[in-house]
Amino acid sequence: MRQDLDLKTISASAGVNAIKPSTGEKVFTVFNYFVFILIGITTLVPFINLLAKSLSSEDAVVSGRVGLFPVGIQFETYKYVLQDSLFLTSLKTSVLLTVIGTGLSLIMTTITAYPLSKIRLRGRKWLLLMFVFTMLFSGGLIPTYLLMHNLNLVNTFAVLFLPAMVNVFNMLIIKNYFEGLPDSLEESGKLDGAGNIRILIHIMLPLSLPVLATIALFFAVAFWNDYFTSMIYITDPDLKPLQLYLKELIVSSSGDFLKNNVDLAINMTPQSIQASSILLATIPILLVYPFLQKYFVKGVLVGSVKG
Amino acid sequence: MKLGSKKLPVAGPYRRGYFPSLWRDIWKEWDLYLLLVPGVLFILLFKYTPMYGITIAFKDFNIFTGFADSPWVGWKHFEKLFTSPDFARVFQNTVIISLLKILILFPLPIIVALMLNEMKNMIIKRSVQTVIYLPHFLSWVIVSGLFIDLLSTNGGLVNKLLVSLNLEPVAFFLDNSVFRSVLVTSAGWKETGWSTIVYLAAFSMVDPTLYEAAKIDGAGKWKQLWHITLPGIAPIIILMFILRLGSILEAGTEQILVMYNPVVYKVSDVIGTYVYRQGLGNQDYSFTTAVGLFEAVISFTLVIVGNALSKKYLQRGIW
Repeated sequence: MRQDLDLKTISASAGVNAIKPSTGEKVFTVFNYFVFILIGITTLVPFINLLAKSLSSEDAVVSGRVGLFPVGIQFETYKYVLQDSLFLTSLKTSVLLTVIGTGLSLIMTTITAYPLSKIRLRGRKWLLLMFVFTMLFSGGLIPTYLLMHNLNLVNTFAVLFLPAMVNVFNMLIIKNYFEGLPDSLEESGKLDGAGNIRILIHIMLPLSLPVLATIALFFAVAFWNDYFTSMIYITDPDLKPLQLYLKELIVSSSGDFLKNNVDLAINMTPQSIQASSILLATIPILLVYPFLQKYFVKGVLVGSVKG
Repeated sequence: MKLGSKKLPVAGPYRRGYFPSLWRDIWKEWDLYLLLVPGVLFILLFKYTPMYGITIAFKDFNIFTGFADSPWVGWKHFEKLFTSPDFARVFQNTVIISLLKILILFPLPIIVALMLNEMKNMIIKRSVQTVIYLPHFLSWVIVSGLFIDLLSTNGGLVNKLLVSLNLEPVAFFLDNSVFRSVLVTSAGWKETGWSTIVYLAAFSMVDPTLYEAAKIDGAGKWKQLWHITLPGIAPIIILMFILRLGSILEAGTEQILVMYNPVVYKVSDVIGTYVYRQGLGNQDYSFTTAVGLFEAVISFTLVIVGNALSKKYLQRGIW
């Protein structure tokens, strides 16, 4: 049947229709590839520019001569940043936060999603509504801040991940995935006398690795990238994650930039330090990203097709 | 369930009424309910308790007096809100920035996805996708750092280009007339690629035989686009639009907080950044809670109304 249709299209395109649209289509194809090469370059240029700046000599950066290629190569700024104790402390905080936060959030979100994926669960509709409602309406910044204040969570490591442990959106993706698994698996587990928790751990979780890996990646990226939470709740320099450190670095040096806008020669040293710090903070993601990409795109699609 | 119900007396759960049978079900599958306990407790504590905290918008809250003992003041803070010139400016900025973003950045991923879909060379297509998804995984802090660098008047690539074209350099981050374009462009740079994923997935769900039939009927690429592809992905477009409606008053607070500076407050201070500065900076808790509540109620209403309208006229909604 399929072959049949293909044959028809082939014969149709070999016939009268073939020549007429092909000029237009050829132009479009060329245009299309051209546009995407342009988009690709536009996406990469900021990185290349930053990389060049981080590797260029101080006066090349200060006099604004650096474009896409480094001028007068040096590695001093990288050395400087990697010896800076504040950078290293914040890097450690970020790594810890990402590991602990991702692990706990994944567990919390999964054990919440599993019962909610069971249609037989009494009160399922109300429970789901209760979770989804928090996506549509929230108490807002100030009441949330006051809550953390009252719970004595301000300036603690826990505040960085505790409030983010159940993410309703991710929970719904996992729930949809569980719903797609065949019921017979659960029944066979029950026949063997396993309880729900055993079934979840030994049967469902191994089958859900793609979606769990995807959600883990989402959590990891969110924790690694979050600056807002720490900006609100953390003033202790020993607890500041990398993004907050970077934010302060960028804001303070662009503040200097404001003051010395005309006087270009003054205080431009931070530029290349800033560039190397930003790149160092980006490297972990740049490294894992190409390997995970195929995986997470598939995972998201699997999870969201039904929802 | 099928297996379990065999053990029950046939008329059991029906004769016992709702609550006894509910307890019976919970007793029977206590482990399933046990799994839910942490999640429910968390959402109650971290999401619903702040909703109770909203009451301070109607009180003169003082952090030392506490939630319960601060005096009620009725609509006082809302009256201040609607007469405050600060709020009028912030509200206007929020709506303008958000509408700019919707008008430009909502259709963009759809167009990009359509064009990507026409690429036949899989290697180039994959590489393009890999590159354009990437910025999504960077934080706003890093994106802001990249753009400050790229757009700086001292050796920023964009200004170098402008100068080489004999144009005046532009202080993008200090110029009230262009700062909003910086916000929109950088948001587009960060998220457009990633947003195409949803639409690319939607294309794969359109029945391929429709295209074959259309080709046989002599429909060209444009006709196929108008009569098959777009109607096919319309439900996803509508869904994404309703979801987008809810964040109209959000306008990208996390982005603006790392990109703006006092020079461009006039055009970039939005509800979220205002609440952050006034609320946490000046500890004006009650007033800014009222501002936040205003935002939350409008967003909530927009999603509900958007969904209802979509259901009524297009027979499709989020729920």
